[in-house]
Amino acid sequence: MEGTKGQAVMFILLTAGLILAVCLGSRDNETILEFGMFAGSNWDVANADSCIIIDKAIEKFEKTHPGVRIHYYSGIPKDDYPEWLARKILSGKTPDVFMVLSDDLDKMVSLGVLADLDPWIARDKTFARSAFFQTALDSGVRGSRQYALPYETVPTLMFVNKTLLNQSGFGVPESDWDWEQLLRICKRITKDTDGDGRVDQFGTYNYGWKEAAYTNGGELFDDNGTKCYIHSEQVAQAVRYVNELSDLNQGQKVSQEDFDGGHVAFMPLSFAEYRTYKTYPYKIKKYSTFQWDCITLPAGPQGDNISEVDSLLIGISSHSHRKQLAWEFLKTLTYDEEIQMEIFRYSQGASVLRVVTGSEQMEEILGRDMEDSDRVIDHELLSSVIEKGKDTPRFARYGDALSLAESEVLKIYEEEKNVDSSLKIAQRVIEHFLAQ
Amino acid sequence: MRAKRIEISLVKYLMLFLNWVTVAAVTGFILVTTEEIRAFYIARDFIGGVDAIPRRPGMIFVACLLLMGILTCSFIMRDIVHFKNGKLEAGSLFCDFVVSMAIVMLLNFNYNGILLWVFANVIFYTKNSSGQFLFMLLAVLSFVGTDHGLVSVNYSLYDIQDYISYYEAGRQSYILGIYNVLTSLNMVIFIIFCVFVIQEQRGTIEKVNELYEKLSKANGELQQANEELQEYADMKEKMGQTKERNRLAREIHDTLGHTLTGISAGIDACIAMIDIAPDKTKSQLEVISGVTREGIQEIRRSVSQLRPDALERLRLKDAIQKMVEDTNTLTNTNVSFDCRIQPLRFCEDEENAIYRVIQESLTNAMRHGQATQVDIRMWPEDGDVRLTIQDNGAGCKEIRPGFGTAHIRERIALLNGTVSFDGSHGFLVDATIPIRWGVEYDQSIDSR
Repeated sequence: MEGTKGQAVMFILLTAGLILAVCLGSRDNETILEFGMFAGSNWDVANADSCIIIDKAIEKFEKTHPGVRIHYYSGIPKDDYPEWLARKILSGKTPDVFMVLSDDLDKMVSLGVLADLDPWIARDKTFARSAFFQTALDSGVRGSRQYALPYETVPTLMFVNKTLLNQSGFGVPESDWDWEQLLRICKRITKDTDGDGRVDQFGTYNYGWKEAAYTNGGELFDDNGTKCYIHSEQVAQAVRYVNELSDLNQGQKVSQEDFDGGHVAFMPLSFAEYRTYKTYPYKIKKYSTFQWDCITLPAGPQGDNISEVDSLLIGISSHSHRKQLAWEFLKTLTYDEEIQMEIFRYSQGASVLRVVTGSEQMEEILGRDMEDSDRVIDHELLSSVIEKGKDTPRFARYGDALSLAESEVLKIYEEEKNVDSSLKIAQRVIEHFLAQ
Repeated sequence: MRAKRIEISLVKYLMLFLNWVTVAAVTGFILVTTEEIRAFYIARDFIGGVDAIPRRPGMIFVACLLLMGILTCSFIMRDIVHFKNGKLEAGSLFCDFVVSMAIVMLLNFNYNGILLWVFANVIFYTKNSSGQFLFMLLAVLSFVGTDHGLVSVNYSLYDIQDYISYYEAGRQSYILGIYNVLTSLNMVIFIIFCVFVIQEQRGTIEKVNELYEKLSKANGELQQANEELQEYADMKEKMGQTKERNRLAREIHDTLGHTLTGISAGIDACIAMIDIAPDKTKSQLEVISGVTREGIQEIRRSVSQLRPDALERLRLKDAIQKMVEDTNTLTNTNVSFDCRIQPLRFCEDEENAIYRVIQESLTNAMRHGQATQVDIRMWPEDGDVRLTIQDNGAGCKEIRPGFGTAHIRERIALLNGTVSFDGSHGFLVDATIPIRWGVEYDQSIDSR
């Protein structure tokens, strides 16, 4: 009796030991860090090489961290990514490190899914905030805490149809041009070329009051998404200015076809689109009938040549058990100059690091795929556009609030209302919406 | 009483079961709904509409059931196995509280009824009623304090309502109904439990009062019995004493009677003979004298410890008077008795001692001093009684023990008095006896 009891105890102990050893052993052998990412571009341009940078970063990280393996699900499209991430979060399997879409940052922070990075930044002596473009870095801040780091950033530029400008006797404007210049050029360019009585050559396409407001020092919302500033003088001025520009078109609607056909001189364009359509194979697909270039947006009377800057963020799960590794991997992705340089090679955005985007190597990489006749965007210009840029608001209902604002302004244009009083009403309507 | 205990235990079993069901239902429901949301690919929309989500629904489900298991184990240890040690009991209750708080936290305050279960146990094991009421109050406070709505003001908590509202309206009200029934049923059972505990407490108090009444009654009876017993013992003692004394007295009387009869007969013979044969009479008288002495010796021995019948029957003054008269008539010695104390009445032991001292002194005066005159005087002096017995006998140069003085000294010493002897002019016994002047004396003084 005693013997069997002893044997049973021994058996249980041995089994328990074995299980423990297997668990610990497997842990020792390999730590798996989960990385949540989507395939393709964050800026809706085609990108076949999106995984290359990540793979390189993983390779580099795994080399310096033996025993750690980064795992990611490949091939999740950007559109499906929020749902994929939400499902992971909901079942408590949030990846250790994951990409955060602009619209999701607020929700992720309020749900407590994202770890506060400030303690890690403070602890890490090798990390300096100043290495990042402030605009890009600020995009990961919520309530004065850094919840995510930017990985890739994309400013908005002004597409210029060089051919059309040259035909009308204009050169490409300087990077410090202003509204007046734009208006002057547009006045000259907007005309009926085939004599059918309808205007068929236009100054701008897609250049809206929002872009104009930013260049006039205006703000649409506060960071928390509780206030709307649409009735401010800067914004009102922008609304009037854009109205003036569209009045030149004599009621004609400018379409994408007009632009693609080379009949429009200016169009705001993201840096990602610029890079996509400037390089093979896409450059032969679009805008191939004319020469084009990109410059800054024109400055308003109260503002600067700035534009919206959109950054792709990466954060760490607050529930991760391997935050140190996660932090180091996050650093590899965002803070490693070598990896960041790869963004210019394999992605369409710009590096978030000042040193990388401001380097001549960057220009050299971009120039490789361009035709010799094309002017490669100047690294200083790009740096200053990003540095001075306006961060895309990231509160949860930004999309809805912006749509509402746009429809309100459209109403003003269509119904030719008094801009000032209408904006005042619109502001109240939007704030009411935000307060709900 | 016993039945009430069983009722309370039953309520506790029911409460534990209900908490198991509720905790499993809440965590299981969240787990199932999460899977449902994932299966239908609406996670993003769901997340967009809630303030918080549970960190790991699966882990919460398992952890909560494990913690419930711990609560059940500690309940079994306490209520079925029973701890030997009160400290272990208190420790297990505290442990329960911590575990239940952990469950409430894991559930993000969506269900806090488990606290009532813990407090029910605490109340059950609290012995005094004020403590029980305190814990009842604490239970209510903690229950209200951990209300989901209240806590969610300051902290972002996941809300089971969010998960319920995932379902279509028909099922929503159904699920909400079950949830509400489970939570409020637990509360109702807790209230029933409290009522039972209060009732039991009241029952205990009544029982204690009843017992106390019985006890004090029994105590009174016991005291009375004790008194009676004491009285009886006193009486018995007195009876025994009297009986024994009478027996001895009778015995002495018989001996004395016999001796005296012998003596009287001998004397009668002598009277008849004295004229005819004076010599024979003389020798006969010598025989009588010897018999008398023997008798006296014998009597002295027997009576020495006894109070003479005279004193038993008469007052001290009368007894002394009788002794004086007897001596005067029977012997050639003339005795005078001068008493300045009126009335002459003391406690039994005092009277005894005085009587004895006089008797002994008289005997000594006659036997050793061949005195013809003895003066006995008694008078009060400084609250004491002064007693002198002076004879005109031979006296003695020095006082030696064995002259009967030792007895006198002993008796006086027992009453804390002093005595001195003087044998220079006859023999003088001079005694000072402190008297406990009793009520009787005072009354007599007053009545004089």
